[in-house]
Amino acid sequence: MRRAPFARRLAALLAAALLAAFGLGGCQGSKGQETSAPPEKASSGIATKLSGPVEITFWHAMTGKHEEALRTIAENFTKEHPDIRIKLEAQGNYGDLQQKLTAAAKSHTLPVMAQVIETWVTDFRQNGLVADLTPYIENPEIGWNKQELDDIVEVFRKANQWDGKYYSLPFSKSTQILYYNTDYFQELGLQPPKTWDELKEAAKKLTGEKNGRRVIGMGFENSVGWQFHQWVKQAGGRYVDEATGEVLFDSPEGREALGFLVGLFQEEVARLAGEDQYVSNPFGRGDVGMYIGSSAGIPFVAKAAEGNIHWAAAPVPAGEEKAVAFAGNAVAVFDSAKPEEKLAAWLFIKYLLNTDNTVFWAKSTGYLPIRYSALETKEWQDYVAQNPAYGVGTRQFDYGFFDPRIPGFDAALKEIDKEIQAALLGQKSADAALRDAARAAQAAIDRAKERAK
Amino acid sequence: MDERPTVASFFKAAFYLAPALAVLGVFTIYPIFSSLLLSFYADYDYFHDVVYRFGVDNYVYLLHDPSFWQALRNTALFVLGVVPASLALSLGLALLLRQRLPGMAAFRTVYFLPVVTSVVAISVVWRWIFHTDYGLLNYVLSWFGVSPVPWLTSPRWAIPSLIILAIWKSLGYNILIFLAGLSAIPEVYEQAARVDHATAWQRFWHVTFPLLAPTTFFVSVVSVIDAFKVFDEVYALFGGNAGPVRSALTLVFYIFEKFYREQDYAVAAAASYVLFLLTFLLTLLQLWIGRKIAYNR
Repeated sequence: MRRAPFARRLAALLAAALLAAFGLGGCQGSKGQETSAPPEKASSGIATKLSGPVEITFWHAMTGKHEEALRTIAENFTKEHPDIRIKLEAQGNYGDLQQKLTAAAKSHTLPVMAQVIETWVTDFRQNGLVADLTPYIENPEIGWNKQELDDIVEVFRKANQWDGKYYSLPFSKSTQILYYNTDYFQELGLQPPKTWDELKEAAKKLTGEKNGRRVIGMGFENSVGWQFHQWVKQAGGRYVDEATGEVLFDSPEGREALGFLVGLFQEEVARLAGEDQYVSNPFGRGDVGMYIGSSAGIPFVAKAAEGNIHWAAAPVPAGEEKAVAFAGNAVAVFDSAKPEEKLAAWLFIKYLLNTDNTVFWAKSTGYLPIRYSALETKEWQDYVAQNPAYGVGTRQFDYGFFDPRIPGFDAALKEIDKEIQAALLGQKSADAALRDAARAAQAAIDRAKERAK
Repeated sequence: MDERPTVASFFKAAFYLAPALAVLGVFTIYPIFSSLLLSFYADYDYFHDVVYRFGVDNYVYLLHDPSFWQALRNTALFVLGVVPASLALSLGLALLLRQRLPGMAAFRTVYFLPVVTSVVAISVVWRWIFHTDYGLLNYVLSWFGVSPVPWLTSPRWAIPSLIILAIWKSLGYNILIFLAGLSAIPEVYEQAARVDHATAWQRFWHVTFPLLAPTTFFVSVVSVIDAFKVFDEVYALFGGNAGPVRSALTLVFYIFEKFYREQDYAVAAAASYVLFLLTFLLTLLQLWIGRKIAYNR
């Protein structure tokens, strides 16, 4: 996520003014206003036919080429459905989008649909803000048949299910991949590492002086704490239980995972992005031999590497188990929309996520296609043949997972990230850091749970 | 203005002031009070506008949150690091810039530039200056045999780096105010001191500095308040985070995180009120000291 801090700040201030203004309204409304219906309500009586033209607003966080691609899809959709117009409204970055959705929910001015991150949906759902899409999906007239539904990549399908119901659907997805410097790998006769041991070996060999440059073998993003789930799972451990909110990584497997990472730093064969903010820059300069980062960073790596180094990407090495994190965003429809608007939104989502469009979207943005059938299309295969890095992510579908979508998880991650950084920088022993991280994360989750009551 | 206050003149004045008052009321005064109220929401449903219970829970939470204390400590360190140094430096530079030497106009522009440049642009440059391997600062230090300092990547150096950046950025504004204050001092005092054969230092310490006290007081109040509010610099210098191992967490950053990243609105409001109280008390203290020094001579 690359952000424009100042614009964000400005938006934050405006939102603060808004929220503060609504804060007082809050206590006044406490008597009269009835609480809205429980999240379950929308399951029956959906509209399946439009009686006239409908315009729906779609809030998104896309800019530049991504926004253009989205516009193209919306325009093509209107050609097929002349009575539905999609009004695309860019809301800034994801942080801005989240703030504006919160403010809109507060002031009852939510759009018909929006780009969302699954963790937000949990919160929206608890507050009865998002529509259950299951009746639309299952509707024989306008829905998907079983085969079509199963065509959505399993890890994405699961990430958008709450108690077996769909409150959002996957849209722009990314994953973690291993980037490596092919010049260095060739020089040293290395192959992309497939296991932790190979990773460590490669990191050791890659570290040292190369053409008068101090090279460190392995790189990690500053936010390496956000990757920790993956390492714990690879060690065969469990991270945080989504159902109970219990923090589980203070375990032998968790110790093994953190021990492995700390070991790399102690032997001085790994480094963080540091002041460069993202490893793509040091990697592109040739200061780092390889790194594990988001597939959404491919364009940044390509840009940083141009004229400096040659590079390629490979699946993330496996530990005890294979496990790779998938992230990104989804689309959701808000319950405040009228039945016909919801129907129009569903028809648009169905169109947005069809095989052709998911391939088009993936090709234009670098996100992953969200359907298995997309991988079979000639268009995608030609594209991957020309841009092999974009084909790496989809090879990891079968062992993908996603972060727990529980309230307080962001606050917990912040604490985990802090402790892991402290361990990697040698400020704390790995065991102490792990214990403190687990304790702080548990406290954050418990507090969020208590507040949501 | 020898008009006597009448009912008519009151309404006339109110009419002229109304637009400004309306804007101030809606966007400043109302939020101030509603956020005070928000800070006492102990149990509430944010989306449905329901408050189940009022109480001091949020303040109690702050007392027990180690992050909050760390933010307080860091902010205090930052204020102590920035304000005295910035005041001394800008007063010195203001005195220098008053000398009628060639090229001073250009220097004044140079010093003022950081004030009008966006923090984002500044932080891009400073991220390079502070870079461990490729930065200007470590390059210069290497001439003196100093080994590279990990300015932005070590928890120990994060706050010092912030302080250096903030001092540099605040100079222009402070110099400008000092220059204005200096030119408000009638030259006769200086001339009289010269006649008495006072040395340059004596002239500064016994004549200029005391006469400049109101300006110094103003600059120090503004600087302290400003330093307490530090946020943009942290956000931009450390890429939206609070620095390595959250070592550059400041009060406003803490509030920002609670409000926007954790949706803990009431705690954020409570923390804002702590910040407000702190700056308010410090300003009172400065006012008191300022009275003693400036006017009781």
